[in-house]
Order: sequence, then C-alpha cells, then structure tokens
Amino acid sequence: MNLTSGLRDLEAAQIVDAIADAAARWSDADFPPRVRAARAIGERLQYAEPVVDYALDKLFGAITRESLRATIAGELGSLEALDGFVSRAGRPDVRYAGFDLVAIVSSDTTIGVAVPPLVFAACAKSRIAVKDRSDLLVAAFVETLAEERSEFGAAIAAENWGGHEDPEAGAHLSNADVVVAFGGAEALRAIRARCKPDARFVPFGHRTSAGYVARETLNDEQATRDCAFAAARDALLYDGGGCLSLHTLFVENDGRCSVSSFRRCLIDALDAEAVTFPSAFERLTPAAAAIRDAANFRQSQGSGSSYTGRASPHLLLFDPPLEEPPPLTPRTLAMYGVDGPGDALAFIGRHELPLEALAVCGAERPDVLEMAAATGAARIARLGQLQAPPLTAEHGGFGRILPFVRAISRER
Amino acid sequence: MLKRTAPQAAAELDDAFLAMVAAWHRTGAPCDDAAFDAQALELFAHQFECNEPYARYAASCGFSSWEPPRTWRQIPAVPASAFKDATLATFDVARAELEFHTSGTTTARSGRHFVQRAALYDAALGAGFDRFMLAEDAGGVRPSGRTKFRFLNFVPNPRRSKHSSLGYMVGYLSDLHGDGNTAYFLDGDKVDVAGFIAACESATLRAQPLCITGTAFALVALLDALETKKTAFSAPPGSRIMETGGFKGRSRVVARDELYRRLEAALGIPQASIVAEYGMTELLSQYYDSVETRSSKMRVKTAPPWLRTLVVDENGAGVARGEIGTLRHFDLANRSSVLAVQTEDRGYAVEGGIVLLGRDLDAPLRGCSLDAEELLALRDA
Repeated sequence: MNLTSGLRDLEAAQIVDAIADAAARWSDADFPPRVRAARAIGERLQYAEPVVDYALDKLFGAITRESLRATIAGELGSLEALDGFVSRAGRPDVRYAGFDLVAIVSSDTTIGVAVPPLVFAACAKSRIAVKDRSDLLVAAFVETLAEERSEFGAAIAAENWGGHEDPEAGAHLSNADVVVAFGGAEALRAIRARCKPDARFVPFGHRTSAGYVARETLNDEQATRDCAFAAARDALLYDGGGCLSLHTLFVENDGRCSVSSFRRCLIDALDAEAVTFPSAFERLTPAAAAIRDAANFRQSQGSGSSYTGRASPHLLLFDPPLEEPPPLTPRTLAMYGVDGPGDALAFIGRHELPLEALAVCGAERPDVLEMAAATGAARIARLGQLQAPPLTAEHGGFGRILPFVRAISRER
Repeated sequence: MLKRTAPQAAAELDDAFLAMVAAWHRTGAPCDDAAFDAQALELFAHQFECNEPYARYAASCGFSSWEPPRTWRQIPAVPASAFKDATLATFDVARAELEFHTSGTTTARSGRHFVQRAALYDAALGAGFDRFMLAEDAGGVRPSGRTKFRFLNFVPNPRRSKHSSLGYMVGYLSDLHGDGNTAYFLDGDKVDVAGFIAACESATLRAQPLCITGTAFALVALLDALETKKTAFSAPPGSRIMETGGFKGRSRVVARDELYRRLEAALGIPQASIVAEYGMTELLSQYYDSVETRSSKMRVKTAPPWLRTLVVDENGAGVARGEIGTLRHFDLANRSSVLAVQTEDRGYAVEGGIVLLGRDLDAPLRGCSLDAEELLALRDA
C-alpha cells in the first residue's frame, strides 16, 4: 500500500468542503453506496434496517461544513492554522502540522466508528490506514471522498485486515505516528505493543454509560413520559452493545411521579421503542436469562422486581442488589431508586464503573451536574441523546483533531 | 395416620437416599424414572414445608402444597445465585455440620450452602469417586478397594479453607483413599512447585500411585513451572488426575485437549486417566467424565443416579437431546437445602449424560460495551 500525502497540497477549507459534500451524499438514505453498505452492515451485525439507518443518519448527518469548522476552530484556534502560521493573542504564532501516518483500528466496534477520526485525520492532511470491517463501510465512504477530490483516494486506504497479528496490520501499526484503536483491554494491549515507541496512542476501550433522572423531571407528567422514552431509546439502540448504551439508570425518589410510577412509564416506553428499534436476536441471551432468574428469585423474597419485554427480548430490573454491579448484558437496563446524586456516585464508585457518558434529566441542578462531573464520564449528555454524540464535542475525553496534529510555535 | 414431623421426614428421606447410594455403590444399580420421581417429589414436599425462602419461590412459580409439581421435571429450580440472596435450608443452620461458601466471581457477595448432615455428602462423594474415578484406568487396571493413593492436591487446603466445598471434597477423598501422606500445593493463586516435585519424586521412588487433584488453572500453573524447570515425571502405574473447577474467572484459558496432552507429557499419566469432575458448591453430587469417552475427543459427563439434569432454554423449557441449553440439576443429596438448582452452565444432553460447554454464555458483544468479565478484570487490575 503506497499512500501519498496529496492532502498536503490542499487547503484545510478545501478538505473540509469535500468531506462535508461527501457526507451530505451519504446522508441520503437512497445513495447507492450507502444502500449497499447498510445491507452489508445488517448482514454483519444482524441489526434491523431502522437501527442501521438511524446509525448512518446520525453518523453522516453530523459531518457538516459548520461542525467540522467549529470543531477545528475550537480545538486549534482557527482552520487556517492547519495551512500556515496564525497569530494568537498573548502567545507565539502557531501552526498545526498533521502527523504523517495515522492508523485507525476498529477491532470490534459498531457502525462506522472509524469515520470521525478518519475525517479529522484527513483535515490534518495525514496519510491514513484504516482497518475496515467486513461491511467495508469506511472503504465505500473513502471512495466517495475520492470522487469529491482524488487526493483522498491516494492518501487513505481502508482495508479489511485480519487481526492485529496480520503482517499488513503489523506494518501499519509499526509505521504509524498516531494509532487510534477501539477494542477491549486485551486488544488494546496487543495493538499498543506493536506501535513504534514514540507513536501517539489514542485508545478507546470498552466502557459503559449510565443515566440520572432528577426529581424535578418527575414533577411534570409529560416530562416524565418523555424521559422514560428517552431512557428506553438509549438502552435499546444497538442492543445495548455500545459504550454509549444505557445499562444503569438512577431515578430520584420524592418526585411528584413516584419511582414506581416511573417504572411503569419505562416498561411502556421500552415496549414501544422495541418496536421502533427491533432487536437483532429473538430471545434473551443466556446471561440475561440468568440475571432475570436471579431477579425473579429475589422478587419472590420481596426484594426488587424485573420485567421482560413483550415486543422484544429486553430486560428491565428494578432495584437489584446495590452490592452487585449493574447487569451489562445486551438490552438490559437496571433502574435504582436513589435519594440524591450522592447515592449514584457511591454506586458508580463502589463498582468502579468506567463510564463513557452520563445522561441526565435535570442537569441544571448544580448537585446533579457536580455528581456527573465526578463520575469520571467523558461526556454529560441529555437522556435520549446518549447514542448521538455531537461531532463538535470531544470523544472519550480526547479532542477530535488534536490527536492528529503537533503544534509548531513561532516566536517573533 | 399421624402426620410425620419434619425431622422424621428428614430422617426418612436421608435413609432412603443413603440406601440408594449404597445400592448403586455396591452394584451400579440404576434408578428408574418412577423411583427418582417419587423420591424427588417427596423431597420437594419436605423442602416446601421446611425451607421458607424456597417455599416462597415455589409459590411464585405457581406451586403450593395442594398443587405440587407432578414430576421431578416440574420442580422449580432456584438460580444458583439464590444461595447469595437467602438462607436456603430446611433446618436451623446453627446446627449445620457443613457450611460452604461460593467463590462469588462477579460480585462481592458469596453464597452459602448449609448442610445438615455431612454423611449425605460423604456418601455421595465416596460412591461417585469409587465408581467413576477408580474405574479401570487406561492400562486396564482397576484398583482394589485397598489401593491407596498419594494425594497431591492443587485445591484449597480444607484445614485452612473451612468453607471450600472443593477443599472438603478432596480432603474427604484423600482421607478415604490416601496413603497418609496427602499434601496440598495451592496457596491462594500460588503453586508450590518445589514441594510438588519433592512429593512426586518420593512417591515415584516407592511406586506409590498418585492421585493428583487440581483446578485446571492450577494445573496450568504447575505445567508452566515444570516446563520452565525442564522437569518431567513418569508417575507410577494406576496414577490418576482429577481435574476440577475449570478456568472460572481466570484470564488465561488453555484448551482442554492441550492441557491433558501437556499433563500426560509432564507427569506420565495417560490422558485416559485424567478425569474431569464437574460439581458446584450448591450441589452435593458430582458429574465425572464417563469411562467410555475418556479416550475420545468429546467427553461425556455422567452422574450417579440420584443426580439428574435437564437442559433448558432461556424460558426454562426443556430442549431436545443434542440441543444446546442451560443446565438445571436435580440432586437428591441436597436434602437439607434445595434439590433443584438452575446453573449458568451451558451444555447439551447425549446418550448417557451431558456434554459440558462451560459458561460461554453469549456471543461476543458487537460493540464497545463493557461486559461483566471485563469489569471484573478492570477492577482486579
């Protein structure tokens, strides 16, 4: 694979324009490459069509001229800093040079997670090698980029490597200046071991997400229902298999709508959302069934309860034991009644939950916001928006373009 | 006729169970469905009456004393985790002769299994070991009742781990069949290789057959150490290995074929004399690799007649023979707790027993979500 650094001949604005135009084409559900990719994704992951469409809409719909420009300007000061030196108030001038070669390895991820880092690495004018999945979504998007500007085709290779033991993968990893890797702890350890010593390593490990419903939300009937539907969507999308999937939901006691009434709302919402976003599998997984059986036993002893979905094999647990970590099986959500943010924080701390995001209803309350910030989550989201992270925000605590550039300051 | 008191019922059930064990131990007498049914249903009635948490659970499953299960297959099985959530006993646990704790792999809480009469466990253990472990070995040798083994154990020492059912089991068997020089080489996760080598050399010198017991994980650690030291043995004829416990909760997992091949190479014990035992703290009876399949690639686990297993789907319905499901055990030895236990272990039924697939419960997650094993590993790191 011979990648050329043709993107360096372009101005950052030209790159942004081309990317935004390509993404706009992919935002059209009838765009033939998207139709083909959607089918391949469905075959690979068994997700239903609405789930794949939702993912692709969110993915490409977020990649706009405005979002790219705003993100780059936010992180680097200006888009022009990618083309030449720019002045900064009270500081030396700066220019951001993209690293030469970026490798992006998405070892077990869901839909199109390699696309955002690819887009920003391209804005940094790097050469890029992407480990694509068997659905070849990234490769298809790169083809569209190349149709917009041929320089993309020469600078980016998206291929379906084998594991990281694959010699080709090894070559990419050992040459790359920046390695973005998605995967579990073992995969990340193995990938990191193959990187050159001074490579910048940007890991995205497996994580989970939680939600918090403040009692103020429960004072309003409509807000309560909306909140339940939002939680249901966050829990069921992608079968709960993502780091942004909701598995743990804390609901404050003493709202006008009681926690038990909220449970009923949540049950209805889950059954309704399960129709909108059907499951890839027909039955509870054995692990989820074991969790349900344990909950049923506890319920018979007067402690907690559970609900198994009507429309799909989802599982909702109410007040499972606090001494146990939340169930992390597919399409499973545990709801805990709490007296305040301190209870939620204590639970998260007790189980050392590595949180990607905390979704909140009622984040305007300072103590809730403080708790959210203290959980270690990289993102505080609105419930219902967990699975739609904005491109303009950081990802996993990292900047979007910052990992791909080095700053060159010039003193005058 | 006067109604029996609970203690009388318990005593009668125990007598019937011990008689069943003795008959099978002596002659290999099977237990037909009707006899198993009768004993299991009587046991259910006793547990429904004397084990309050279980009665509540059975009631939640739609059963009552006037509408009990009609066959053993209908007896409601508690999930194994229930031993963490309630005291499942038919008696005052202050009088328990044995108390075992589960390891609690994914939670800080461990379950407790109280046993009213050790004699039931001992009888089940002894008979199962005799008929399965001491069956004809790979060389066609069946040890006489008087054959003594040098027990070299890679399980918790029962003197130090009083609540380990595995430790108790091996300790009891070592006392029963050992030559008086039983030794333990596992301390927490640490394996005492030097001690094992010395004990092994001493036994080999005296042509004393070995019975090496250990969890798969401990045996792998032993093999790694022996290979590093470039040490191998040729164990005396009649020696055996009882592998137990698997790799539960361990990060390093070795394929069973590879483990047995390496054990044979390092210890000189033929693979057909390496027997996997499958049990759990919540049960007092055990499965063993069947004698007939010890030389084949696919080993079938077989049980004494008082332990039966249904393979069920995610809704608890029985699945067809050969179809993969979750294992639900019915153990008549569990007189003083709960006879029906739903496990998380996967397997399928075949002629003569079950094939155990372990706890590989779900296909790997497709996304970047954390799973329970990963969370545990992160916390332990």
